[in-house]
Amino acid sequence: MKRSLLGFILILAAVAALTPIPLVGQSSYTPPRTREGQPDLEGIWQAVNTAHWDVEGHNGSLGVPPGHSVVEGGLIPYQPWALQKRRENFEKRAELDPETKCWLPGVPRATYMPHPFQIVQTNDKVMFMYEYRSWVRYVWMNGTPHPEGPIDWFMGDSRGKWDGNTLVIDVIHLNDQTWFDRAGNFHSEAMHVVERFTRTGPDHMLYEATIEDPKVFTRPWKISMPLYRRVEQTAELLEYACPAYLLEKEWNDPNSNYFRQR
Amino acid sequence: MIRKIGVPVGALTATLWILLLAPDFAAAQGFWAKDSPKVPMAPTWMREKAQLPPYNPPRTPEGVPDMQGFWGGAGGDGAADLEDHEYMDATTPSHETFISDPPDGRVPYTDWARARHQEIRRGLGRGWPGESGPRTHGAPRSLCLNSMPRINVDGGQEIIQKPGMLIIVSSMGWHRVIYTDGRPAVGGKARFWFGSSRGRWDGDTLVVEVTGNNGRGWFDTAGNFYTANTKFTERWRLADANTIDYSVTVEDPTIYTRPWTMNFPKRRPGTGRRNIGGLPGATSGLPSRVEKDVHAQEVWEEACFEGNHENTITQKELGFKWFGGVTPPTK
Repeated sequence: MKRSLLGFILILAAVAALTPIPLVGQSSYTPPRTREGQPDLEGIWQAVNTAHWDVEGHNGSLGVPPGHSVVEGGLIPYQPWALQKRRENFEKRAELDPETKCWLPGVPRATYMPHPFQIVQTNDKVMFMYEYRSWVRYVWMNGTPHPEGPIDWFMGDSRGKWDGNTLVIDVIHLNDQTWFDRAGNFHSEAMHVVERFTRTGPDHMLYEATIEDPKVFTRPWKISMPLYRRVEQTAELLEYACPAYLLEKEWNDPNSNYFRQR
Repeated sequence: MIRKIGVPVGALTATLWILLLAPDFAAAQGFWAKDSPKVPMAPTWMREKAQLPPYNPPRTPEGVPDMQGFWGGAGGDGAADLEDHEYMDATTPSHETFISDPPDGRVPYTDWARARHQEIRRGLGRGWPGESGPRTHGAPRSLCLNSMPRINVDGGQEIIQKPGMLIIVSSMGWHRVIYTDGRPAVGGKARFWFGSSRGRWDGDTLVVEVTGNNGRGWFDTAGNFYTANTKFTERWRLADANTIDYSVTVEDPTIYTRPWTMNFPKRRPGTGRRNIGGLPGATSGLPSRVEKDVHAQEVWEEACFEGNHENTITQKELGFKWFGGVTPPTK
């Protein structure tokens, strides 16, 4: 009895040892290579979660689905003044969320907007083409440094390199005019984001982003989520021309406040 | 349009961008004297390309012509006004038409559509001859709204080719993926500012059918319009190593009496040829300071819409109305 139990345990252990268990940020999956010899991240991808509503865990409310946190440790480590500001942002989000003005969503929010994006790789750069606003983010892969500031861009300046099969992107020169989500989670222009994109299977990718902003948070913090390949035959980026829709609505609305805000 | 983020940085960004694509961008924002020579466009290009020897382009691994790289725009005044015109103001010089067919270089509107176009022109508020009456519409582009086919007049585009698709990425924050794998267009009731593009190779010419257009864009800043029934057929062909012969045929029997075509060359920046009126063959003259800059070949963010709010408010205060397209009468 004991011997067979021991044998069973040993067999289990052997099987477990042979079964690859992906560690955080790494994967045992080896992606195919592009023509240029890089890990192939190309294709149309999309996050399927509620991070664009609220990156922290939250219950449902009218029109808002509930969701787990994508923040490691659960909550964003705000400084006390910033936690208060986040509360104010949340209360006034209908008016303060830059997404309601159709502004560019910034990084990392652009990754988990409820729209697909397409990755295109060339020999010296990786391009993220977003369906939202039809925007293009260039990630320069030729070892050049960030340009000197001061620069404040909505989508920042992205410089990338390969760490094994993981695309690591360093982003600075972000302005403070973007939020992380619709729940008022915010940052300053000092934010520094390091993203990691790792293929974990034929149709899956792991997205991780480490956020550092000493003006707003007490320490760096991290989000992570799977990305899913859009596999249907008709998969393509369509057009979400947010500014056009917004301008048309406001122009024709006699009660609009839009044109009085300067 | 450079966002208002502070003069020094905005100026730096603007300077690098202008210097990088000086021939096209600076020309589109250029100023002309009253007696400047007529800016060449379709008629001159038609004559020039007729003289070119046949060109056998390099090919991608898929065996189709390799059009990859950065491309400039039409140059000239950036399509202030599509048809041939004399000097109108400092930014609207004497200029050849963009239209290669019909031979008279004019948009072949139906009577109804021509009357509607003239009505828009009279209310543009540009100080042009013939203006009268109330403001009509500002150009969609002045609100940072882009559309097909006008965006191809702009430069700052990079073409990337992959199996089954040709991708056009613009520094001005848009992209097009032209699928060449035979899939159908989006179809149905969907209508887009950029339409739905599907391409196929006809010999060495990429023929792109663009349907599902929403009819809200203009061809220029002078109120030349199309409708949600319009179909565009583009033709992209390498005329030589550094030149694309770009044409687009416009079909819409609800507002035009016949199909018509725009045609102009797109050139690679820095190849020593400019499209600026009156100066064919001049070099692009990029300063060496920019060539030594490690970021000289980069494309930097231009957040047009984010920086345009004041301008939008002003436009509304001046009485311009939203252009929601035209509805031609049913026969």
